[in-house]
Amino acid sequence: MSSATTTFDARGLADILDASSQEQIDTFDFGVIGFDADANVQRYNAFESQAAGLSPQRVLGEPLFTNVAPCLNNFLVAQRFEDAADEGSELDDTIDYVLTLRMRPIKVKLRLLASVNSATRYVLVQRR
Amino acid sequence: MLLPDSVESLRAEHEALMQFLYLAPVGLVQAGLDGEIVMINPISAQLLMPLSPDGCLTNLFTALESVAPDLRLQCQQYPRADGMVFEGLHIHLRANDRARTSTPQILSLTLLKLDEARIMAVLSDVTAEMRRERQLRQSDAWLNAILTRISDYALAALDKDGRLCDWNDSIARVTGFGEHVIGSPYSIFYPADAMTDEHLLDRLREADNNGWSMDEGLRLRADGSQFWCSALIAPLPDREAFGDDPHAPSYCLILRDISDKRAATEKRRQAAFCDHLTGLANRRAFFEAAEIELDRAAHTPRQLALVVFDADHFKHINDRYGHPAGDRVLCDLANALRDTFRAVDTVARLGGEEFAVLLPSTGVEQATQVADRLRALVATRLVAADGFEIAYTVSAGVAVLDGTAGGIDALIKRADAALYQAKSQGRNRVAAWTPELTHENLPQRSRNAG
Repeated sequence: MSSATTTFDARGLADILDASSQEQIDTFDFGVIGFDADANVQRYNAFESQAAGLSPQRVLGEPLFTNVAPCLNNFLVAQRFEDAADEGSELDDTIDYVLTLRMRPIKVKLRLLASVNSATRYVLVQRR
Repeated sequence: MLLPDSVESLRAEHEALMQFLYLAPVGLVQAGLDGEIVMINPISAQLLMPLSPDGCLTNLFTALESVAPDLRLQCQQYPRADGMVFEGLHIHLRANDRARTSTPQILSLTLLKLDEARIMAVLSDVTAEMRRERQLRQSDAWLNAILTRISDYALAALDKDGRLCDWNDSIARVTGFGEHVIGSPYSIFYPADAMTDEHLLDRLREADNNGWSMDEGLRLRADGSQFWCSALIAPLPDREAFGDDPHAPSYCLILRDISDKRAATEKRRQAAFCDHLTGLANRRAFFEAAEIELDRAAHTPRQLALVVFDADHFKHINDRYGHPAGDRVLCDLANALRDTFRAVDTVARLGGEEFAVLLPSTGVEQATQVADRLRALVATRLVAADGFEIAYTVSAGVAVLDGTAGGIDALIKRADAALYQAKSQGRNRVAAWTPELTHENLPQRSRNAG
C-alpha cells in the first residue's frame, strides 16, 4: 500500500486504513483517529497528534467522545456512529465542522467511517 | 539558551495544560467585544456546533444568534470598562428531531468583560438542573402564598365546577362584588381576556392533583378597576361528605391583593422571562408556557393554536437603515403584537425577527383571523428612525394542535412550514398549515426565506 496515493477522499478508505501500519498512517497528510465499538481510541496518527498538540500516549485507549474530543460528542458526529451501530449500517459521510485544536477554532472536513465488517471506526480530519 | 531538559519539561507542562483545557467539563470561550472567537475549548464546540447557523465558530454571538439574539446588544450596552455582563443566563434551545432526549435543552451562559477588547464566556448544559429547580420554585410560590404577611384577603368557597357557593364580607372588601355573585364562575375576578373556560377547569384539576394551584396577575374589581393579585385554589377536605350535591363547596379560593409587592416580583420576572429588547416573553417563558398548555391539552383535549410571525425582508431593513433602526422595527412589531393578542395568549420573541404567539382554546379560523388583523395593522404603520420612516410587513404561519401534531416542536415545525408558504406566496400574508405542506421539501428554518 503506497501512502503517496492515500488521500482524504479516497474510495474504500476504511479498508486501506485497516490494512495500513502505524508507520504508513503517520505519513498521511490528514488526521486519523480510529476507535473501537466502545469508542476507545485505538489508532492515532502523527498528523493528528501534531495538530491537537497531544502525544499518542495521552490519547490511545482513552474514550474518544469524552476524554479526547468532547467537541464531537453531539448529534452531528457521535450520534452518527451510534445510529450506524444500532442499525447495523455503513457510515461514510463527509461533513464540514469546526475543531478546537490547541483552543483555536479550526475549520475542517470530517470524514466519518464505519463499516459493518470492521471493528474499527474512523474519524478523519482535513483542514478546509 | 534553554537546556534540553527544561525544553522537555516545558513541552510536557504545555501538553498537560492543553489536555486540562481539552477535558474541562464546561465550555470556555475568549472573544473580542464583537464576539469574534480567539480561543475556544472542545465542550464549547460540542454545545455550539449544533446551533451555529453558518456551521462556523468564528463569532460567538453569531453562533448563538438563533437562540439568544440579544447578546451582541447586551454586550455593547454594558456600561462598565470591565465586569460581569451577566451570570448564568439561561438559553432555551429548540429541540432537534434528529437528536435524542439526552441532548441539551437549556444552556447556561456567563459573560465576563475583561477589558475594552476582550470577553470571556462560560457555557454549560443545565437541562437536568433546571428541571429540579422548577419543582422547587413551585414549592416556593406555595410557601410565599402562605407565609407572607397577609394584610387582607378574600376567602370564597367554590363548587366542583368553580362556581362561587357563598359570599362574605372579605369578598366585598377585596373585590367590591356583592352577594349576587353567588353561582357565578370564579372567572368573574379575571379580566375578560385573561381566562378561558378551559383554564378555569384546569386550575381546579391542578389543585386536585397537587393539593393547590396558584397564579399571579391582574384581577378585576366590581367597579372594573384592576389590582395585582395572588390567587390560590385548594381542594377542601371532607368534600365527599356532601355526597353528590353539585353545588356543595369543593374548593376554597383565596385572593390576595399584592399590588405593593408587584414592582419587586415583576422585576424578577422580567429578568428571567422577558426578551431584553422588546419586553415580550423570551424563549424560556414561551417553552414553559407551551409545555403547560400541551400538558393541559393532553389531559383535557381542547383547541390550541400557534402563530409564528416573521418580519419580511428584515435583513434588507438592517442593511439599508442599520441595526438600531432594525431594533426599532422589532420593538414596533412587538407593540403591535401586544396590542392585538389577549392577556391569556403567550406572545414571545423566539429569536432575530421571529415571533411566536400561543393561543389557548383557539381554533384555526380564529387564529388565522387575528393573525391577519395583526398583519394588516403592521402594514399601516411607519417606524421613525434616523429621519427615515420605515414601512414594513410581516408574514405568518398558523398551526393548531391535533391528534397528529405531537409536541411543541412538531407544532412549531408546522407553523414554520405555513410561514414558509406565506413567504413564498409573496409575503405580507398569513397561511395556515395543511398536511400537503409537510411533504414538500422545506428549508430547515424560515429565516432562510427572509
